[in-house]
Amino acid sequence: MHIPDGFIPIAQCLVYYVILIVALYFSVKWARSNLDEKRIPLLAVLAAGIFAIMSMNMPIPFGTSGHMVGGALVAIVFLAPEAAVLVFTVVLLIQALIFGDGGITALGANVLNMAIIGGFVGLYTFKGLKGTIGNYPAAGIAAWLATVIAALACAIEMAIAGTFPANIGIPSMVLYHFFIGIIEAVLTVIVLAALDKFRPDLLAWNKSEGDA
Amino acid sequence: MDKKDKTLIGIAVLICVIICVLSPYIASGDPDGLEKSAEDSGLAEDFSVEEIKGIPESVFPDYAFANDPDNQVLQIVALVIGVIVTLVVGYGVAYVVKSRN
Repeated sequence: MHIPDGFIPIAQCLVYYVILIVALYFSVKWARSNLDEKRIPLLAVLAAGIFAIMSMNMPIPFGTSGHMVGGALVAIVFLAPEAAVLVFTVVLLIQALIFGDGGITALGANVLNMAIIGGFVGLYTFKGLKGTIGNYPAAGIAAWLATVIAALACAIEMAIAGTFPANIGIPSMVLYHFFIGIIEAVLTVIVLAALDKFRPDLLAWNKSEGDA
Repeated sequence: MDKKDKTLIGIAVLICVIICVLSPYIASGDPDGLEKSAEDSGLAEDFSVEEIKGIPESVFPDYAFANDPDNQVLQIVALVIGVIVTLVVGYGVAYVVKSRN
């Protein structure tokens, strides 16, 4: 769901950049008080992993690219959507600058969809469901929903930009990500389970079970 | 960085490299669906798409070497470079913004 350069008018790109700058302000603030030294490698490997899974992408008719995202995963691992904003800003910037995937001008919109919307939808779906259905089912549903809602947001932004009409673009993006989201859900649960087994100290849900 | 973190990074890089090796065979070589569907649908003329001037060409457009875009071995090389760059930049950014107490 990387929006390329040229598909969103510059004036609208600026709006998304303002959102990005505000989000980065809060994310750096979050990191300054919550990102301890021992979770630096975790953030780095999540960024690398997300770069890798996003490269497995396919074109979507009347949409952008279809791929797994990982926004919910990062937000759940750190129990903070701010972490997703940091990770995705790094990954999307590298993809835009070096790999021509996603536009520089569309960076704000792309971070908004995958990290801010993906991270918030993922984290709060997880928090809302984990009490009743348990951590892993909640994380799976959260990851699926985050992917679908992020794709929906991407399609809405392109409809506002006038790139594709909403009645064609939205169903196309949502339908593809309905299925991509299922793979995303499975992988999110696998990564969380692996971290919980081998590095439980890194998962925020083990640290703050009470207030999470 | 202690041994456990080095193991984490090692395993993560290994998994990423496996994904990078598989990716050129799974992924589309034309990942921008908008560009692709614009080309495919023949509707391209109707889109209000403007070329934006002044944006530099990327080093590895569409995760490949510009001078040999269909070479899958080079695509894997480009992806592995991307993974390492992302890991290093991600580490650097996290280090800069980490909590000070």
